[in-house]
Amino acid sequence: MSDPLFPDGTCTQQHAVKNRYQTEIFNMAETHSLQDMRQQAAVAAKVFVQRDYTSGTMCQFQTKFPSELETKIDKQQFEETIRTLNNLYAEAEKLGSQSFIEGCLACLTAYTVFLCMETHYEKVLKKIAKYIQEQNDKIYAPRGLLLTDPIERGLRVIEITIYEDRSFTR
Amino acid sequence: MPSFSGGVVGGGVGGPASAPPRPFRPSRYVPVSAATTFLVGSTTLFFCFTCPWLTENISSVIPIYVAVIFLFTLANFCMATFMDPGVFPRAEEDEDKEDDFRAPLYKTVEIRNIQVRMKWCGTCRFYRPPRCSHCSVCDNCVEDFDHHCPWVNNCIGRRNYRYFFLFLLSLTTHIMDVFGFGLVYVLHHPQELDTPHAAVTMAVMCVAGLFFVPVAGLTGFHIVLVARGRTTNEQVTGKFRGGVNPFTRGCWRNISHVLCSPQAPRYMGRWWNRHAVEIQPPFLRPALTEAQLEAKILDNGIQNDRHSTRSKSSLDQMESQSADMEAPPPPKPDFRYPGLPRADTEASSLLSEAPPTPLMYKYRPAYSSPGKNHAAVTHPNKMTRGESLDSQSPSILQSSRQPSYRSEPSSLDGATVVGRGVGVRRGGGDRGEGPGGPGGIAAVVSGGVSGYSLTGRSYTSYPSSLVLSAGGSRSSSLRSAQTVHNPLATLQSEGTTDTSYKSLANQTPRNGSLSYDSLLTPSESPEFESAAHELSPLRPHAPLPSPAGSGRPGAASPGSPLQGYTSPFLSAQIAQQREGQLLQGSTTFSSPHRAYLRAVSPPPSSPPGPPEAQHLLHHNQNPTSRIPRNPSSSSSSPGARSLDPPVSPPPRGLSLSKSPVHIGETGSRHKPRPAGLGAVLGGGGVGGGQQAPQSTSRPVLANHTTSKPVGGVKKVTGVGGTTYEISV
Repeated sequence: MSDPLFPDGTCTQQHAVKNRYQTEIFNMAETHSLQDMRQQAAVAAKVFVQRDYTSGTMCQFQTKFPSELETKIDKQQFEETIRTLNNLYAEAEKLGSQSFIEGCLACLTAYTVFLCMETHYEKVLKKIAKYIQEQNDKIYAPRGLLLTDPIERGLRVIEITIYEDRSFTR
Repeated sequence: MPSFSGGVVGGGVGGPASAPPRPFRPSRYVPVSAATTFLVGSTTLFFCFTCPWLTENISSVIPIYVAVIFLFTLANFCMATFMDPGVFPRAEEDEDKEDDFRAPLYKTVEIRNIQVRMKWCGTCRFYRPPRCSHCSVCDNCVEDFDHHCPWVNNCIGRRNYRYFFLFLLSLTTHIMDVFGFGLVYVLHHPQELDTPHAAVTMAVMCVAGLFFVPVAGLTGFHIVLVARGRTTNEQVTGKFRGGVNPFTRGCWRNISHVLCSPQAPRYMGRWWNRHAVEIQPPFLRPALTEAQLEAKILDNGIQNDRHSTRSKSSLDQMESQSADMEAPPPPKPDFRYPGLPRADTEASSLLSEAPPTPLMYKYRPAYSSPGKNHAAVTHPNKMTRGESLDSQSPSILQSSRQPSYRSEPSSLDGATVVGRGVGVRRGGGDRGEGPGGPGGIAAVVSGGVSGYSLTGRSYTSYPSSLVLSAGGSRSSSLRSAQTVHNPLATLQSEGTTDTSYKSLANQTPRNGSLSYDSLLTPSESPEFESAAHELSPLRPHAPLPSPAGSGRPGAASPGSPLQGYTSPFLSAQIAQQREGQLLQGSTTFSSPHRAYLRAVSPPPSSPPGPPEAQHLLHHNQNPTSRIPRNPSSSSSSPGARSLDPPVSPPPRGLSLSKSPVHIGETGSRHKPRPAGLGAVLGGGGVGGGQQAPQSTSRPVLANHTTSKPVGGVKKVTGVGGTTYEISV
């Protein structure tokens, strides 16, 4: 008999090896799928929180609570997250003394300072990324949601992924 | 460590979806090479031949000063050339799950009480944020798009505008320095002009003098732009010709924003730390807990009510969501239940925020190639649009009864046709214009802006009428030619739209919007009243005396499908004459209707805008042309319903292609105010592409209203087809 794995599988030793191999593969597959089930639920839907342009091109997101999330998370919690993000972005874009000094320094050094120093905005973006990660870990992941950092979408939307609740205990 | 990403290459490793690598075009590098050569070469010659004498005989500070200025110029030049201007990454596929044939081409958003529209970008698959534009040379949407500069072979956008501006300033200074010091040298060596030093100095002076005029002109132009808080794109397309720029913060703040704002971040080529988040069921469910608490507290009756309402709304949502999973047709329930938007796609969440202009469908073919699918797409569009309109009409009624209903120009089929046609063409032309972009587009701006190449893409945000006015470039005339032809063709060919407009118009009287129309057309009001609940489009009206008929050149004859194409001036005449008739005579009709109108004048949140407006404009049309209720009439009605405050008519130069703008703006009036409706009328009046005439009749109509506007709304339109409504 020909076996795709072991084309010349007449040897019993190879058979044994093959069997073990197949068993191993099967086990791996099983555990892998179990891990999958454990690690990640399926994506059910995505909600997009749009930018709020009422005060111009400043980076602000709408705090309106999307209807899809009504059964998933508290309205207050969600609005709190968005409001904090808005504040952080406002801080990033603020025309303050730090941005002014940075600009002057950049001019004086013919912009070579950008090679070694991180700009103010980038620093705040890191803060935002950390905040989103923390929110995901603490609040959103336990509810089957996942916030995507809006910088990945060009600061156009906050993408909230809703995961399927495959639990049958309810 | 931050690094510069070239404007040519899109995306980076680990970055978001980016444009496919573009073919290498050596012709793109000619201007930038020339600019670099002239700059570096001339300055080097200056330092070698002129500076030694100057250092010895005038001052030793001179070469240091010139060197500093030159280095500053060079640094800004490099930053302007190599820095990512603010390219948006392509949207992911799941942001755009909406049906291509349903989603509108434009979305309007309110920025500081001014309506600004966002256009769908077919290449990048999202609605362009305000001030964003798609550069066909770079094939990217750029944030705060200024222009594509061939001299640096890069787009100038949010991130590198400052460097570009400083480059211009420093280059002007440098040219003046070189020229000035060269002149000093030459004046001190009048007898040695045949020496190589003097000859080179004179050559450098010639080059400097030659470049000084355009560079200084461009610098002056940008100084004005910075002071006014505008981009080049906005300036040359005349977006704010009407006068109000929502993005300006005052001269001083504009300047400080350009020079001192924090360096904006890059969107492309970012390295993201993918933190693995474990998401596994069971999930927490706050809503259930809340419901349980409520159930415990409340009585049985109340509990039942609450449950019923909740289940109904959730059922609606589920219904809309499940229906969305279907392939087209049937039309999506999104538009049936505007109060319950489906927000699981990016575009639809935009819909929920600003009520959509559902009939201006964006041309959104298969992801890869718009041109290829052009033919395939248009037919389904035509087939399904009629259906969708029919099905939408009952929904509009239903939704219009809801207090939260927002004015929705759903009957703007004419507008749809125009908008979609325009969109289709633009979509089809998207790829085609790309290669043509760098080649043939002449600089449209006069004066010192000779170096600009305003690419085809940058025009797509604006109707082609603007392009017509800008004139000059091949691509613009091509686009405008396309646009001009299209509305007529599509209007005449769309039998289904006529039907659906009629059906929509049929339903409008049920909303109780009769009074206003009868106010306008007293002679036909009894007929109208009796036909209130049917409003057949072909109901026999005694043809009204057309007082303005004599003065109406090219007035649409009854039966002409292009009835709507009357000039604004004539419509105003007609309306005025009608007003005269109204005021003189028929008080029997007018007074009860006026009383009714008073009763009907709703608070800002309630007016069912489109059906009434539709109806109103339908009647507005009636004096002009009796017979077939053409798409123009019904399409012009949305937004016309009113309670208007006197509104200044938009400029007469409104072109057909501007209608999408107004429709978009009409649709986006999610804060309906009586004052706002007047402006909405203007928008709705222009809707359909042929409704430019209608708009000017509005202010006259406004005089009929007995209700005073709550707040004034000033409507400002630019020839570019953008209408800005400012609440005063």
